[in-house]
Amino acid sequence: MIRRRIGRAGAGMVLTAAFALAAPVAAQDIAIRNATVITIANGTMENATVVIRDGKIAAVGRDVQIPSGIRVIDGTGRYVMPGIIDAHSHMAIEGGINEGSESVTPEVIIPVRDDDQTIYRALAGGVTSALLLHGSANTIGGQGAVIKMRWGQPADSLHFEGAHRIVKFALGENVTRASSSAPDSLRRFPKSRMGVEQTLRWWFTQAQEYAAEWQAYDARRDRNAVPPRRDLRLEALADILSGEIKVHAHSYRGDEILMLMRVAEDFGFRINTFQHVLEGYKVADEMAAHGAMASTFADNWGYKVEANDAIPHNMAIMADRGIVVSVNSDSGERVRRMYQEAAIGMKYGGMSENEALKMITLNPAMQLGVDNLVGTIEVGKQADIAIFSAHPFAPETHVEMTLVDGKVYFDRNEAMTLRKLIDGARSITTTEDDR
Amino acid sequence: MRTAALVLAALTVAAPAVLTAQATPGQEGTFVIRGATVWTGAGQTLQNTNVVIRDGRIEAVGPNATAAGAIEIDGRGRFVYPGMIDAFTPLGLSETGGISTMNLRSEMGEYNPHMRAVVAINVDSDMMAITRANGVTTAITAPSGGVISGQAALVNMAGWTWEDMAVKQTAAFVLNYPRQPSFRFGGGNPAAERAAGERVAGQIRELKTVLSTARAYDQQRAAGSDQTDLMYEALRPLVRGEVPALVSADTEDQIREVVEFGREFGIRVIINGGRDAWKVRDLLAQNDVPVVLGSIQSTPASDAPYDAVFAQPGVLHEAGVKFAFSTGGGANARHVPFHAALAVGYGLPKEAALRALTIWPAEMFGAADQIGTIEAGKVANLFVATGDPLDIRTQVSELFIKGRRVPMDDRQTRLYEKYNARPAGN
Repeated sequence: MIRRRIGRAGAGMVLTAAFALAAPVAAQDIAIRNATVITIANGTMENATVVIRDGKIAAVGRDVQIPSGIRVIDGTGRYVMPGIIDAHSHMAIEGGINEGSESVTPEVIIPVRDDDQTIYRALAGGVTSALLLHGSANTIGGQGAVIKMRWGQPADSLHFEGAHRIVKFALGENVTRASSSAPDSLRRFPKSRMGVEQTLRWWFTQAQEYAAEWQAYDARRDRNAVPPRRDLRLEALADILSGEIKVHAHSYRGDEILMLMRVAEDFGFRINTFQHVLEGYKVADEMAAHGAMASTFADNWGYKVEANDAIPHNMAIMADRGIVVSVNSDSGERVRRMYQEAAIGMKYGGMSENEALKMITLNPAMQLGVDNLVGTIEVGKQADIAIFSAHPFAPETHVEMTLVDGKVYFDRNEAMTLRKLIDGARSITTTEDDR
Repeated sequence: MRTAALVLAALTVAAPAVLTAQATPGQEGTFVIRGATVWTGAGQTLQNTNVVIRDGRIEAVGPNATAAGAIEIDGRGRFVYPGMIDAFTPLGLSETGGISTMNLRSEMGEYNPHMRAVVAINVDSDMMAITRANGVTTAITAPSGGVISGQAALVNMAGWTWEDMAVKQTAAFVLNYPRQPSFRFGGGNPAAERAAGERVAGQIRELKTVLSTARAYDQQRAAGSDQTDLMYEALRPLVRGEVPALVSADTEDQIREVVEFGREFGIRVIINGGRDAWKVRDLLAQNDVPVVLGSIQSTPASDAPYDAVFAQPGVLHEAGVKFAFSTGGGANARHVPFHAALAVGYGLPKEAALRALTIWPAEMFGAADQIGTIEAGKVANLFVATGDPLDIRTQVSELFIKGRRVPMDDRQTRLYEKYNARPAGN
């Protein structure tokens, strides 16, 4: 493993816009009482209580004593579930930024911003964590960031401590068309799926040689020896080879998914998670054998040729073949209603309710390397929790409250809503009329 | 999940007639759906009720309604709803994105009222087959581009030809009311903003000139003139108020301007988009101007409450504004009931949501005498489901379009069946 790693901070630009100046969120012990608790890990409990202390879940169950003096939230008629995790987001960065000048740039680390309203809207949809990735212009792109929705906190405090280091790969149309408007002589390699494979093989061959040079140097333990020349790109690639950095690969077609797994196997590493993976259902057994996970759209197809064979049953087939499947947003719009996306797993292919709910909780947590910390409602886990007005899959549902680290970051009662805006305007009009 | 597939397969086998009908837009015949709960859309939910379908129409609805020799469909424990309508899509005109030849939706030039979407509908569009399988039987198919894009059609999602599929060949004129471009970095270039403002004012004058001319043309033709101009001929039903205009407007100013424009020219306008319609809900209600809501799956303006798009339908309903839902897309038009569900989650009564998916768009586009409810005499556009269609978990089990029992398979279910059946280790 290469030790001289680039620092992880990466908070490039910290813009503190007016709306980021939310009131400081106070740490508080909380009990949610008499709710239906969807634990994901241990079934669903009615009339149950969840006690939160020091930002962690301290007790869950029907016969739980509420310690005196702590804040009690009445959960009557409400559904409590683990905070939703989005394994593919472009929020809190500068949109779908791409370092598109070259096809291989794993040394690049995306900057996290704290001023994107999408963070707040995601909270209002019950989302508590997300993997931020840049765009898909590069075969081997840059490193993403896993964040918690600590809205109002500075960018540096959004990082999810303990999460994987993650690099984004991309295959197919987006990579190959990245410079398609340029004249042929100026186009960037690769421009075909064949070229994508050879790009991967060429760079990982270099990285193996680079790692070997450093290994030989380290093995000599000779203080006077001249160290190999440091190369940040090859260093990052070597960290991918060693498994220190996990691969999340943007992919569509079955052929390219299979190709990437075979390349990785030849170089001795594993693809952690395929992103989009719309044809994952065609190579599901191969994915399961490789040990890859899948983060997909619930139902999104036909927007380009490589999305033509996307089917909403993809989630169910992959899960059935033993793959850990999550459903992601990839959008500042969908991130507000990921519970609807997960429900689609039940509609097409017949997933069970718990399997469907896992796709936005425990499964993405596994893909981001935080399943020991979040993703279920279990004693000892971080208290990232969403409270719904009805079952999260019911049409009449909405999010009432979202907690991160046991702190209430979203409360519909406190939030400005359309109804409140209208009622406020009405009361102003009434006052004027009264005069 | 493979067991679920087997159950589905067994259900299909139990109705062998469906298999033989798969290559057609549906099985013809007389049908009785027996013992179902029927949401009529006309103010009633009928328990333990039969629906008789004959010659493409709903012949009878009632506890004892029946027909000799009819194909029996067990509706016990099931729910029957009128076919749902997506009120703004490119279905049939657009297929796969990114391929220009598969997306021929716009014509050259600014004024194309004579362009008819209906004649260019691809009957075998995969998108339409996938849409109908979720109970969305009918959609507005709209051209795009220019100031007057052309004529939108109200079409069924199955049929032998576009004539067979059309409920209304000309359901509305699609009109993109000229609007000020938004200057994101406002104030940077006042000269450019002024120039853009003048250009838009010029475009509005031109639109009004076209419509004044259309009115004069209509009067001359009515008075016996035999000079024909195809563009102005096409506009006659618009200026006569016989066919509505679906006019894009999102901001408060745009909507006010469009309502005023409709009044000025005696045109029946339907607001298309209506992002800020809640701000002018009383104006819309007083003038009886309905709204085709832009996709609920869109984000609010940056200064609007976080739930503005989700909560707006409930607010409009309270104010007495009629509206319909639209996805604006082709591939995901089947999600239109889930758009409505988001509105229900944020305050719209379920009953109103279902009407906004059925009878209200039928009324807006002048087709309420044909579709939109389950009543004797109407075209048999309806579906049988395991529950509330707003609930994503609900399965649609039977689908009728124009009284034909439409097969439920499509490109996606065929891919599913193929790969779900792949033996392990192969």
